[in-house]
Amino acid sequence: MAELWNTFILEPVLNSLIALTSVVAGNFGVAIIVLTVVVRLALYPLTVRQTRSTKAMQALQPKIQELQKKYAKNKQRLQQETMKLYKEVGINPLGCLWPMLIQLPIWIALYQSIMQALAATPENLLKLSEHLYSWAAVSQAVPLNEQFLWLRLSRPDPNLILAILVGGTMWVQQKMVTPPATDSRQQSMTSMTTLMMPLMFGMFTLSFPSGLALYWVISNIIGIVIQYFVTGGWGYLRSPAAPKPVPARKTEPAQQESPTIKKASRDKKGLFKK
Amino acid sequence: MRLSFGSIKATRTLILLLPLAVISAVAFSCVAPSAGGGCGGPGAQGWSGFASYDGVLYFGSMDGKVLAVDPVARSEGLYFPSEREWVFSIRTQAPQGAPCGFGCMPAARPAAIYGTPAVTETLVYVGTYVGDEGKVFAINRPKPQYDEEGIPSWTEGEWFYPRGERGSIGAIVGSPIVHGDTVYVGDSQGKVHALDAVSGTRRWEYETGGKIWTSPAVKDGVVYIGNYEGKLHSLSSDDGSLLWEVELPAAIASSPVVSGNTVFLGTFDHYLRAIDGNSGREKWKFEGGNWFWAAPVVMGNVVYAGCLDHTIYALDARSGKELWQFVADSPIVSRPVLVNDLLVAISESGQVYAVQAASGVSQWNTSIGYSVMAPLHAEAGMVYVHTRNDEVCSIDVQNGRKAWEYLLVSD
Repeated sequence: MAELWNTFILEPVLNSLIALTSVVAGNFGVAIIVLTVVVRLALYPLTVRQTRSTKAMQALQPKIQELQKKYAKNKQRLQQETMKLYKEVGINPLGCLWPMLIQLPIWIALYQSIMQALAATPENLLKLSEHLYSWAAVSQAVPLNEQFLWLRLSRPDPNLILAILVGGTMWVQQKMVTPPATDSRQQSMTSMTTLMMPLMFGMFTLSFPSGLALYWVISNIIGIVIQYFVTGGWGYLRSPAAPKPVPARKTEPAQQESPTIKKASRDKKGLFKK
Repeated sequence: MRLSFGSIKATRTLILLLPLAVISAVAFSCVAPSAGGGCGGPGAQGWSGFASYDGVLYFGSMDGKVLAVDPVARSEGLYFPSEREWVFSIRTQAPQGAPCGFGCMPAARPAAIYGTPAVTETLVYVGTYVGDEGKVFAINRPKPQYDEEGIPSWTEGEWFYPRGERGSIGAIVGSPIVHGDTVYVGDSQGKVHALDAVSGTRRWEYETGGKIWTSPAVKDGVVYIGNYEGKLHSLSSDDGSLLWEVELPAAIASSPVVSGNTVFLGTFDHYLRAIDGNSGREKWKFEGGNWFWAAPVVMGNVVYAGCLDHTIYALDARSGKELWQFVADSPIVSRPVLVNDLLVAISESGQVYAVQAASGVSQWNTSIGYSVMAPLHAEAGMVYVHTRNDEVCSIDVQNGRKAWEYLLVSD
């Protein structure tokens, strides 16, 4: 399994990254930025699909909450009504999961490539030889020059600059898509989640190679740009008001039972009251 | 796909948790990058080879200790340390500017020793690798001293470099070389240091402009050293003045070896190169299937070079023409040794091969059972191996039988 992963995913990304370093005059920092941009652009259709799907799911929350209130004592009915609502609006709840699942291996490969290419120790450098192609552009770039701006890419940023950038961009990206919660319990949980991830990654940055943190910053910035254009603005970052429901393709008032539900209810009654 | 409400909730949770879980898992596997561990590969452990004096082997263990091991005592199974044996722990402090990691765990790390020590009658010279920093230690060869608590104490004649405000030089990966009364060593900051072998005071220093992870070679008053900018420097051993430098098409992977007036070295573009020692002009180059990581062995008109493409090549030293090749089971990381008419090499997986130096015909092969990256050492008809599990093995060159093995035990 590891061999398959290395051959088909890790090594193509790793060698492309190193070859790219040769193209950009041996500057590994620039190569990380360029490859992150290229990968994010290649995955753009999937990202857009995921962003739209997430946005639609969020916009549907008020309706779902209404249903939850209405059918608080009837779980089965709640389930049926929720499913119906998704169907009517044309949302597949798994719709935002698949693009994410497809993108994950590429993110991980990019992440591992940066770590391996930096070869912080002699053992790492020796291990790197197992994964390199015999391309001239690759052999001429290795071992990589780890200096970029004020950073040594295989070492953590001695200043707090990258940690702040990683945490800040991640917070902005999350804030743009996180709708404010309606009840206080949910609100405190949402705000904690929105803060926890950026804080965690900010902490990671203090201990991790700055090359990796550079990748996180660039990836977050691209994510923000995509979200800005796909969702049409700063989202919940600028106007943290309750989300407006998206217009359904075939809207029916949630309170009113649809004929399908009525039929299902009748069937159920019929089933239980023989 | 038919979805239940429960599965929708589970999906939502999954959407939130999956990226976090995956990223955290990968991220945590990359913790302590400055030590080089995690998904970037293994951490800094070192791969010291052996130097010998008066029949005793001196080397660095993988937990940063310097040891003297007497093969006679080991073959007799005596309690370690016997009369001529000792262990010396190099005490290190947290490198300056070390990051405060998770939970602000102490950032001090043991020293890694990559280079083979240099030995004289009185001192053992060792270069250390601690994150970005390094030091050169000169330890009393017959027996280092310890205080009442068992902590190594400095005795007269011992020294370390640098001292005082400077604190440290760049991390040392190559071996220190003693030539005459001077110790030469290169560091990761790209500097070559020439130190007085007796007092440890600096004689001269030369900035090469690129990381040095290989050893210098010294011959006829000239110091040859390569760096990761692909430059081979030729310096006067007296004052460190530059005689010539040549820029090669790729970074220099192996330590240079000088024979006659030719410098042999491997570069990261898969070539073994022969460079004229007087002018820096390239005489010939030979292409392998991967890096020539280990320094080649030159005897007479033949260059024996182990390559990471699993092959040992024998080349004509004058023309670079291939004489024979021997394919091993895994990459050749360790420098081979010549014992009489046999070339003994070891693969990374721990398979030892003895082949006829003239023809490349196999004489015997045996398995150590552990991975090996340290260079081999031959003495008195025996080949000594330092394995990745910190074991010392002695192999009889005549028949390939393991004479003894000794597993170093950490505190």
